[in-house]
Amino acid sequence: MVYFILKRLVQSVFVMLAVALLAFSLFRFVGDPVSQMTGVETTVEDQERLREELGLNDPFPIQFYRFATDMLQGDFGFSYRTRQPVSEMIVTRIPATLELGIVALIISLIIGIPAGVYTALRPRGALTQALLLTTLVGVSIPTFVIGIMLIFFFGVQLGWLPTFGRGGTVDLGVWTTSFLTVDGLRSLILPAITLGVYQLTLTMRLVRAEMMEVMRSDYIRFATARGIPYRQLYYQHALANTMIPVITIIGLQFGGVIAFSIVTESVFQWPGMGLLFLESIRFVDIPVMSVYLVVIAFFFVLVNMAVDLLYLAIDPRLRVKEAA
Amino acid sequence: MPISYLRTTALTGAALLAATASFAETFRYATTTDPQTLDPHAVSSAPVLSFLNNVYEGLVRRGRDMSIEPSLATAWEPLEGENGWRFTLREGVTFQDGSTFDAADVMFSYERASSEASDVRSWFAPVTDVRVVDDYTVDFVTSAPNPLFPDSIANFMIMDSDWAEANDAALPARDAENFATRNVNGTGPFVVASRDPGVETRLTPHEGWWGEDRGNVTEAILTPIGNAATGLAALLSGEIDFIEPVPLQDVAQIEGRDGFKVLEGEETRVIMFGFGHEHDTLLYSSDVTDENPFSDPRVRLAAAHAINIDAIDRVVMRGKIEPASQLVPEGISGYSDANSDRPGYDPDRARELLAEAGYPDGFSFGLKCTNDRYINDESLCRAAASMFAAVGLDAELTTMPVRNYWEQLRADDFDMYLLGWSPGTFDAEHPIRFLLHSQDDEKKLGSWNFGNYSNARVDELLPMVQQELDPAKRQELIDEIVALTQEDVAYVPLYTQPLIWAMKDNIDVTQRADNFFMLRWVDVN
Repeated sequence: MVYFILKRLVQSVFVMLAVALLAFSLFRFVGDPVSQMTGVETTVEDQERLREELGLNDPFPIQFYRFATDMLQGDFGFSYRTRQPVSEMIVTRIPATLELGIVALIISLIIGIPAGVYTALRPRGALTQALLLTTLVGVSIPTFVIGIMLIFFFGVQLGWLPTFGRGGTVDLGVWTTSFLTVDGLRSLILPAITLGVYQLTLTMRLVRAEMMEVMRSDYIRFATARGIPYRQLYYQHALANTMIPVITIIGLQFGGVIAFSIVTESVFQWPGMGLLFLESIRFVDIPVMSVYLVVIAFFFVLVNMAVDLLYLAIDPRLRVKEAA
Repeated sequence: MPISYLRTTALTGAALLAATASFAETFRYATTTDPQTLDPHAVSSAPVLSFLNNVYEGLVRRGRDMSIEPSLATAWEPLEGENGWRFTLREGVTFQDGSTFDAADVMFSYERASSEASDVRSWFAPVTDVRVVDDYTVDFVTSAPNPLFPDSIANFMIMDSDWAEANDAALPARDAENFATRNVNGTGPFVVASRDPGVETRLTPHEGWWGEDRGNVTEAILTPIGNAATGLAALLSGEIDFIEPVPLQDVAQIEGRDGFKVLEGEETRVIMFGFGHEHDTLLYSSDVTDENPFSDPRVRLAAAHAINIDAIDRVVMRGKIEPASQLVPEGISGYSDANSDRPGYDPDRARELLAEAGYPDGFSFGLKCTNDRYINDESLCRAAASMFAAVGLDAELTTMPVRNYWEQLRADDFDMYLLGWSPGTFDAEHPIRFLLHSQDDEKKLGSWNFGNYSNARVDELLPMVQQELDPAKRQELIDEIVALTQEDVAYVPLYTQPLIWAMKDNIDVTQRADNFFMLRWVDVN
């Protein structure tokens, strides 16, 4: 088990280096950082000196080597845009993104699983058709349109919910949370729904498909024949067996939710890592963009590892293999 | 456990101040770009200078109408016997930490702002020496007579020398941040109470401020909102009191709602097309590959006559622009009244000119434009391209974000390009220096003259304009330059960009033509 985790962590270093290399080679097309760092009256000569100081004139392999070795030593450099340490900028933005992602996930599960069960048990019901249709529409509309529609309906027309930002946050030292104030929780609702719509649809359809599969299997028939109450049958015997693939897929999807919350964060001015990344693109802030992508890659590795471990815990066959 | 309630601030603020029996007026405003730094000498960008003008002050400042007025200096006069200016400093001014302002701070700030690490050092290029005469008198010696020097340093902000040195911030941060990147100690009307870069910045009044012209804001909260639709929603839902800029297409929606108003003005930024004057050939042409038609002034004039500025105003800019005849708008000092006509929309004349120049069937060329820098820039270029096509100028349009744009223009990768220029000194000399003088790296002139338009007489006239003390004579020199460059069709000036702010009905603000936002002119009713 420990060996398994260590192996994964060592692999993750290579994954991150590969991501860094890819990202770094693309950044030269993003634009010129120096013209974004200086004013219009700054002389060409001064711009050139700054470019030299930042090492932007060095050949690509040297720039990458410098970035990679600094990063391996824990030095993430300084932002071109704000001159702040990049590590600090990313760390202060992580809580916002993670909390948003987790709440989106919870919403998608709380609604998605029961809805999936219901639509599996009553495949021809009117409510089932309505659910399937609305989630299909929801998943077909681009995220930013959903976000803007929610903002204009619940924020502007009805005035029920905040339209941007995190609202009231509580600083717990290393972590600022929205969970401890009413205002913070209210601010979470719209962005979390926006971010969770896709997950919700996926969960619902996955649970529905698995559930319909399981309901046809022999042990459910025998259980029905034995006269086990329907409630117990559906939620204990059937649902439990549908959850294994569901957990896998949802877990893997969660990495994507975190990584691609950029659009939602932009629409709601949600001060997470995604928004930071967008601002950094605008200013060609290469250090922040590189570190962000590396952190996201690391996050993907972690989520994958967690899913594998979950598998190990759930499926006894894998444990035997690993031991052998 | 520090708790910050963003949306209940008005309440808590009121509760706090109820004890002192005054009103708490919280003002929440949003702009698209957060100031990158709080260091007044580190980045010379509009968001930074606009924001810091609330916190720091210069020797002189700009009033509501952009005129220069006393600030930390109460008076200034030309030096006797040599070139330069003597500034008499205001006495009894204190910095926000309580220390006293005097000539040593001016000297320190000059050295800081003119150092290699500073991004504003070009303002001091004409300065050869700075002398502290006494505690409240400072001389700036310049290499040549420089009537505009006081105007050119309106954004030169004075920092407390002891504070900066004690906090190891004697130089602007270049690579890594320093204390002054996130902390301030100016003499200005507002203090930065808290700052979370990119998320929220709070300002409170500086109680010991020397001035009087200050509204009733007791707390200001700046939230950068990058997405225009989000900003609009934040205003309409009442969470934000003020947003700028407002996209043209949203103006009607805001005006149509009760409780909100829109403030429209003209920015000083002139939008224009520029040409690759000195290019030998066109880069993006499919038919003319061995010469550069744009080196012929008749072809450039044809391009100017092809533009229907009224149609652009109506279709692209929703009737909010002011057509431009020269590189500065009317009202800016040095504007040439004598040359206020622009080439009218005349497609027949354009075709004639092209035929005269030897291109009766026109030709194709590449037009480069930004798509995120100026208001509706991409639509403008699309409209212009179809107008060019109507006279036979077949523009192949390439649009890109501004972060890629300047690099390509500097590499001469264009046949024709879009440019917007706002004169930083609010004087006609500014665009002459940057856009009309031939490229001269040594003298640091013509640095934004991408196509290298070059006219020996213009180059000769620029230093004369810079040094002329008599306003009438100076205007004659500028008139001559404008006439020459119009005749050459050095650029095709199109229009002055509108400036659109939106706010709740109970907010009064002053809109200044440089788009700087002055909190001291805000009143919450």
